[in-house]
Amino acid sequence: MSEQISVEIFDHLVDLAALELNAKQADYLRRQLNNQLASVRELEAVPLDEDIPISLHGVPYEVENSSAPREDEWIPCLDSKAILAQAPQVEDQYIVVPDIPHTTLK
Amino acid sequence: MDLCDLSALELSRLLGEKKTSAVEILESSLRRIGEVDGRPGSLNAGEITPNDRSRVHAMITLTEDLALEQAREVDRKLAAGEKVGPLAGVPFTVKDIFCVKDTPSTAGSRILANFVAPYTATPVERMVAAGALMIGKVNLDEFTYGSSTESSAFQPSTRNPWDTSRVPGGSSGGSTASVAAYEVPLSLGTDTAGSIRQPAAFCGVVGVKPTYGRVSRYGLIAFASSLDCPGPVSRTVTDAASMLQVIAGPDSHDATAATTPVSDYLSNLEMGVRGMRIGLSPDYFRITFPDGQGGFKEQELPAEIEKAVRHAADVLASMGAEIVEDVPMPNTRYGIPAYFVISRVEAASNLHRYDGVKYGLRTTQNYTDLKSMYKLTRNEGFGLQPKLRILMGMYVSAAQYSEQYYKRALRVRTLIRRDFEAAFDPAGNYRLDALLTPTTPTTAFEMDAVYGDSVLMQYADQLTVPANHAGVPGISLPGGLDSAQLPIGIQLLGADYSEDKLFRVARAYEMATESEDWRKVKPKVLR
Amino acid sequence: MTEYEAVIGLETHIQLNTKTKIFCSCKADSWADEPNTNICPVCCGLPGVLPVLNKAVVEKAVVLANAMHSEIQPLSYFDRKNYFYPDLPKGYQISQFDQSLGKGGYLDLPIPAANSFDKKAYIRRVSIWKLHIEEDAGKTKNAGNRRFIDFNRCGVPLVEMVTGPDLRTADEAAQYLIRLRQLLRWLGISEADMEKAHLRCDANVSIRVKGETVLNPKTEIKNVNSIEAVRDAIATEIDRQVREVEAGHRIEAWTLEWDEDTGSLKKMRSKETEADYRYFREPDLLPIRMTEEWKAKILAGFPELPLQRRARFVEQYGLPEYDADILTGERRLSDYYEEAVKDYGGDPKKVSNWLMNDVLRMINEQGLNPSEMKLTPQALASLLKLVDGGTINISTGKSLLQKVQDTGRTPEAIVSEEGLGKVSDDSAIRTVCEEVLTESPNEVASYKAGKVTLIGWFVGQVMKKMRGKADAAMARSILEELLK
Repeated sequence: MSEQISVEIFDHLVDLAALELNAKQADYLRRQLNNQLASVRELEAVPLDEDIPISLHGVPYEVENSSAPREDEWIPCLDSKAILAQAPQVEDQYIVVPDIPHTTLK
Repeated sequence: MDLCDLSALELSRLLGEKKTSAVEILESSLRRIGEVDGRPGSLNAGEITPNDRSRVHAMITLTEDLALEQAREVDRKLAAGEKVGPLAGVPFTVKDIFCVKDTPSTAGSRILANFVAPYTATPVERMVAAGALMIGKVNLDEFTYGSSTESSAFQPSTRNPWDTSRVPGGSSGGSTASVAAYEVPLSLGTDTAGSIRQPAAFCGVVGVKPTYGRVSRYGLIAFASSLDCPGPVSRTVTDAASMLQVIAGPDSHDATAATTPVSDYLSNLEMGVRGMRIGLSPDYFRITFPDGQGGFKEQELPAEIEKAVRHAADVLASMGAEIVEDVPMPNTRYGIPAYFVISRVEAASNLHRYDGVKYGLRTTQNYTDLKSMYKLTRNEGFGLQPKLRILMGMYVSAAQYSEQYYKRALRVRTLIRRDFEAAFDPAGNYRLDALLTPTTPTTAFEMDAVYGDSVLMQYADQLTVPANHAGVPGISLPGGLDSAQLPIGIQLLGADYSEDKLFRVARAYEMATESEDWRKVKPKVLR
Repeated sequence: MTEYEAVIGLETHIQLNTKTKIFCSCKADSWADEPNTNICPVCCGLPGVLPVLNKAVVEKAVVLANAMHSEIQPLSYFDRKNYFYPDLPKGYQISQFDQSLGKGGYLDLPIPAANSFDKKAYIRRVSIWKLHIEEDAGKTKNAGNRRFIDFNRCGVPLVEMVTGPDLRTADEAAQYLIRLRQLLRWLGISEADMEKAHLRCDANVSIRVKGETVLNPKTEIKNVNSIEAVRDAIATEIDRQVREVEAGHRIEAWTLEWDEDTGSLKKMRSKETEADYRYFREPDLLPIRMTEEWKAKILAGFPELPLQRRARFVEQYGLPEYDADILTGERRLSDYYEEAVKDYGGDPKKVSNWLMNDVLRMINEQGLNPSEMKLTPQALASLLKLVDGGTINISTGKSLLQKVQDTGRTPEAIVSEEGLGKVSDDSAIRTVCEEVLTESPNEVASYKAGKVTLIGWFVGQVMKKMRGKADAAMARSILEELLK
């Protein structure tokens, strides 16, 4: 297979994805990824003329079926407490997260 | 015959004639669930017992109190002579990928297991406004990522009512199983690559993937935002049409919900197919998949499945439809590879928000800083399928690969769309009203048989995914039983917003095959 | 010694002053609200929510694009910029990447002599590289070894505007922000208050040997929230880079944060700044279709811009640059000025003097809005005419300003009711003049001995006795006559 996701690339992806895998999971997932890429390789053989555009949605959105932007009108949301109630850690109405370290320059 | 064995249409009729009450209907449904469903899916299920193996396990959360409240309101209105909605008193289940206010909305994932939504998804809101009774939230593949419902973090996962050693399909497996087991006449599912149609085929029920944007996605926990479509699951075509009538239409909360007027799906439903042009394509009678040695293998579909589709064509022809053979759909085979790229890019991004900050799981392990909190949380909270999708999405959308994979896949998507445009073009060579195809390459497979092989599992969607790429509507209908007495699904695909036509063709087929023997066979759990 | 020059580009984030957020119906302005109260499922990125674009955001952004000479695109798209940060609830920011609302553009920046190296004023053309719409993130605040997150601000509409690397000094960067702030307020599309983060600035700074054209690795300074801080942070960073280069070190592409309290730069951990945002089209939104018709509607009544008006004031009214600059500092003030000039019909410089010396002080001290003052431009004009016509003297005129503002009555009405008209009756003034001379024999003697400058003092005494109402010129001539 021409394209293999190496252990190094895989580990980089895992870090970017904010994941942390044990060795068994990592091995399984890397293998599955490479298998999927083998399937994706079929796309490389598709003849694509220069002028073929990308499709964002299958259905084209023209003026007739597109919704207009909304008016600038305030609708207060009455459920802010219910939203905050879902957060794992809250103090003084703030959501609390651990710190992001910094270093000061001389 | 229990009330829960009736269709939504029949229930409405009985209610209208005051021969039953919404509360009685609800009780009947709850009784059926009690008889066949077994224990609901949960995070720490422990051992799967032999008893578990004989049950359906469609449910994650039963919302009987909510449903009872809704049923009493319907009965009160009926007693007071007030107007009730078109689905008044009809119980339904909701795939647990929709947010419903004050109910757990889990997406079948550990990371959202404790999430209680503070708002309600538009399609659910419309069902409730139409008088339908939400009876529970049903199981699914984690975040809808799968074709068997086995990947749910909530176990036991749903089993096929026709044979509980087999999968119900997925990801809307809980929806189709709850309808197939006559627990409810209607369910709300979602279809991103076939997630309504494939399990509908496996469970022998009707499943509709509407045109993209026909039904609002507001409140649907996103998988692949450019492909996701909420849609109805039912046992009859008429029920599916009634349900789509209720949930379709523009929504001020979804910019992609089309403003195109919603057709009347019911008035012309039984007008027949005379003069309609129905296509068959050789490209839907074979599948192509990786052979594991770096090449691709082409394989004919099982003869029984092809036979069921050809039989349906004969039935429709006998009713006056014109069958158009050999419609080329050459890009069908690229549906899965393109999907591997597009859906993963969107999914990886959609899963970014699950980070232990705002809702859902935050790790209970010690963390040193923000990043380690993220990593531990996401590692504990996501199962293998979400992780796999995130990693794939990250890889193919990385700046250095985006052109090669992502942009290319989006252009291949255009080719797939063009196949459909050519087939349905009213001025083109084929001028089809509908394309008739099999829904799936196989009937329901054994549990554990495919799970773990993410590539093979994905190819279960090969015949359904092109409609998602193209955005066009599709319906899967029961089309007979195979030699193992498992349902076979046949699929109708149409042009944008042509659901009314598809329903008409589907209803014609349903009426014409009403007396066929297989129609009398009930799922094994009910025998 | 090698001479270096700085190469500076600014990335500004401008909060638009719409009523509501960009993708949901929460208020845009929640400055005074308790944390996490101005939130809804959409701006908190709850599972399943979708963005719906606010029309007013597009309209205000089009106004800005037009002012920046940016080409407004008929079709522009939203994209997702993916990264993890706790104040970004969806884990991606909805922004515009490769096909944004505005394309190109520039601002011609007048640099005053005082801010120039060689003390000569000049114009710096600052090119605009990017102009797009996006959503704001929430706010984080440090609390020991934890961070507190407030989502009230999440989803407030922003225009991100990125300049080319065209600025050369910390002062130029400050001037750019001063002019941008003026423009935003002028157009009425942003409050542009940097302290309230309506206008934020990140600066990209590099240095090179003067005369070279290469672009060296740059650092990005974030979190600078006043114009003075931008100037200080950039100046500090330029000095640091010069020191590093002189010491033979390489400049690395760091992301720095400006700590205003200590006046120092902090480096963010490089790991967090290494980013591949994996931009892709936002599937939840449709493209913005800017039809010619919509654009024309938005730009109907597009105002003359401050720098144009400033030039016109100099040309049309013969004002000094200094006056023109102050009078066009704020749109309502400059409108006020022009209306007063029109009504008055006399010397525009005179109107400018009154406005800048007296009216502007009232405006500033009392926090008045020029367009809503009871002392209308028409009232100011008639007041000036009363002075010109000799009905009142200048000091009466000045005291009238506040009276008109307090009561809302016309200057004429107040003058006649309060008998503030100048006394120009010869005999009345003559009587008082005689009194003054009789009471001041010493001064009279000095005057007669040749100290003629005392005439002013005599006039003052007369005015004092008559509580300012006397016609000063007449008093003077009578006094001179009596003292002969």
